[in-house]
Amino acid sequence: MALMKREQIVEGLIEILGSENVITDEQVLKESSNDRYRKYEQVCEVYTQPIPAAVVYVHSTEEVAQVLKFANEYQINIVPRTGHSAIEGGLETALENSVVVDGSKMNKVLKVDKYNMQVTCQCGVPLQDLDDMLQEQGYTTGHSPQSKPLAQMGGLVATRSIGQFSTLYGGIEDMVVGLEAVFPNGKICRIKNVPRRSVGPDIRNIIIGNEGALCYITEVTVKIFKYRPENNCFMGYTLDNMKTGFEVLREVMVEGYKPSIARLYDPADGGMSFSHFAAPGKSVLIFTAEGPAAIAEATAAGIKEIVSRFTECEPVDPKYIEKWFSHLNWGAEQIAQEREEIRATKNIGITTEVSGCWDCIYEIYDTARKRIMEEVPDITLIGGHSSHSYINGTNMYFVYYYNIVDCPPEEEINKYHNLINQIICEQVVKYGGSIAHHHGLGKARAHYVHEEYGSSFYMLDTLKKAFDPNGIMNMGTLIPLRK
Amino acid sequence: MMKLLLPFSITPDLEALSEKDWVFTSDLKVDTSFTPLDWNSFDESALEMSLKLSNQAEGSFCFYRYALTVGEMPCDRFLKTLAALKFDELFRVNPGDADLRFRPEVIARIIASFAQTYAHPDFILMGRQKQVGDNACTPLLTAELLGWPCVTQVIEIEPADEHRLRVTSAVDGGTAVQTISAPCVLSVGDAPCTYLRVPTLKDKMTYGKKAITVMKLEDFPEAEVLLSSPNAELCSLTPIHREREGVLIEADTPEEKAEILYRDYLKGRLERL
Repeated sequence: MALMKREQIVEGLIEILGSENVITDEQVLKESSNDRYRKYEQVCEVYTQPIPAAVVYVHSTEEVAQVLKFANEYQINIVPRTGHSAIEGGLETALENSVVVDGSKMNKVLKVDKYNMQVTCQCGVPLQDLDDMLQEQGYTTGHSPQSKPLAQMGGLVATRSIGQFSTLYGGIEDMVVGLEAVFPNGKICRIKNVPRRSVGPDIRNIIIGNEGALCYITEVTVKIFKYRPENNCFMGYTLDNMKTGFEVLREVMVEGYKPSIARLYDPADGGMSFSHFAAPGKSVLIFTAEGPAAIAEATAAGIKEIVSRFTECEPVDPKYIEKWFSHLNWGAEQIAQEREEIRATKNIGITTEVSGCWDCIYEIYDTARKRIMEEVPDITLIGGHSSHSYINGTNMYFVYYYNIVDCPPEEEINKYHNLINQIICEQVVKYGGSIAHHHGLGKARAHYVHEEYGSSFYMLDTLKKAFDPNGIMNMGTLIPLRK
Repeated sequence: MMKLLLPFSITPDLEALSEKDWVFTSDLKVDTSFTPLDWNSFDESALEMSLKLSNQAEGSFCFYRYALTVGEMPCDRFLKTLAALKFDELFRVNPGDADLRFRPEVIARIIASFAQTYAHPDFILMGRQKQVGDNACTPLLTAELLGWPCVTQVIEIEPADEHRLRVTSAVDGGTAVQTISAPCVLSVGDAPCTYLRVPTLKDKMTYGKKAITVMKLEDFPEAEVLLSSPNAELCSLTPIHREREGVLIEADTPEEKAEILYRDYLKGRLERL
């Protein structure tokens, strides 16, 4: 608990940042107490989490250092934030008198280094702006999560984000070259930009995916790639069995192909996007190949040859896939429309993403889905898709919708969402997968951290105690609060 | 029991089309086959309104719902959703090769014939228009063919008693509330409730397998006759020019920019008001 009263915290922050950067407006504070994990509470404007003492805007690394030092001295919980697009409770202010430190005004692209193919930017640079700017010059970050129109660079690195073209470009951990971060004692650490080094553990990975629980990311350098959309090749297939679909994905990966997109939708999830070409009950496989023309063409040809070995797969007109490809991302407009729909229908859609090796991913998908259908009330859709594949396995993105029946907003999360998360996590742990593929643990799934980490929890716990001995960094995220 | 006929249409998601997709084929069609399908939003409001009637009646009286659409097999997915929402009877009229985009009189004839021959409804609830065609004529033509009254711009309905509905509609400068006796066509406009509720998986499994009766245009000879003797011919289509011009105001300070904006772009318009 903070060693200061709310008013004193605000006074201290004003002294550091000036009053114009310390926001205490009640509505702003309420809206900053949660994220899209509590989507229904947001829609109903019901706030169940402790309201923060302030939201502060920082403009420089030095300001971040001063704020963290102040918080560390008085044991004030800090919630780092940039784009506010988190969906696993990572931005919830779980402790009284927390301070949300918003880095969205640190939004300068510091250097576009086309010769070394890397770009350096502050934490608050919106990914959409960065990628649009790069694409105008013939380059891309290769990073395109669905939240691209909302997310900013600091948050993307902090949550160990992944983009929709990951099978070619990798996750954010494969893109980050160097970093700058501030630790709770105010220490500013920079990790230099080099192609690779062998000088001990890769300390970038202490920062990447720390979810604001160890440090505050202020600057990132990521790789850039040539942007050649004119070479994109699109392929789509319908098939009867998800099991076959996983086999196709595995073959493509094992044979060494690198499509930018390799996706498998089950009939329920696919039905929402592909019912205009996939008959009811059909699963859908999608591939896109990109890069230099020769590579894109060879990748497409190789994938077509592999899929042709599975007679169950029927090709569809590539134009369907091209159309779908041009509407991949979610921005503010879609979120506003979704809120309106939820208000009107009391029907809400949520996702949970997990991963597993090839030998267990189907069981994870199938058993979790069946349990949800049997055990959760008022379900209107349960399905899923695989969207990020590797040589040893893939992810499963569970997609579920339910009607909220006879349930006040503050009880919805336990009656439905947490129950579904619990089922999915139990099945994942049972079959040996990972409970979070790319959204982060946040606070939503922090309760499963011991099952997820097993004996290696010692390392995470030691990192937390070493870097954040006073427990001020986004408490409740990664490691659950003790009751 | 009050019988309701709900004609509805399924439309391509035109938002999914890019500018380059607006290319007319030789028969003056735009290829929308690559876009997902969705409920026509006005019809979706009408369908949801019909379900709300049961909630509002609280079991005091019953409603029997016929769902009717004119379209190809992909429409069956939407009819199955209505089955899961406990619509009583489901009908689809397969238009075959007929181009009905700009033929509201044919659609109205099908609906009217269906009402007279099969459903014998007390009320017909339908959206006022759809994106493709966009004529806003069908409810009015249907009412005329049946010799029924038609209330337009309906935004809310409630059960009044076993035979009548309390209908709220938008009128110039306000809303009108009328208690309407059967029979009547209700043309739904910009209703505040736009979204159709979502059936649970259990309801989909229990009720969603209800049979869909598929009919042909030949089953509606009066409509078929209209097809062979069109009273209007589609001669051309022109895309709406949606480009906007932008002007960058350059000055040293925000005050100077505001001054230029006011002087060059706003002042004249304000004076003309």
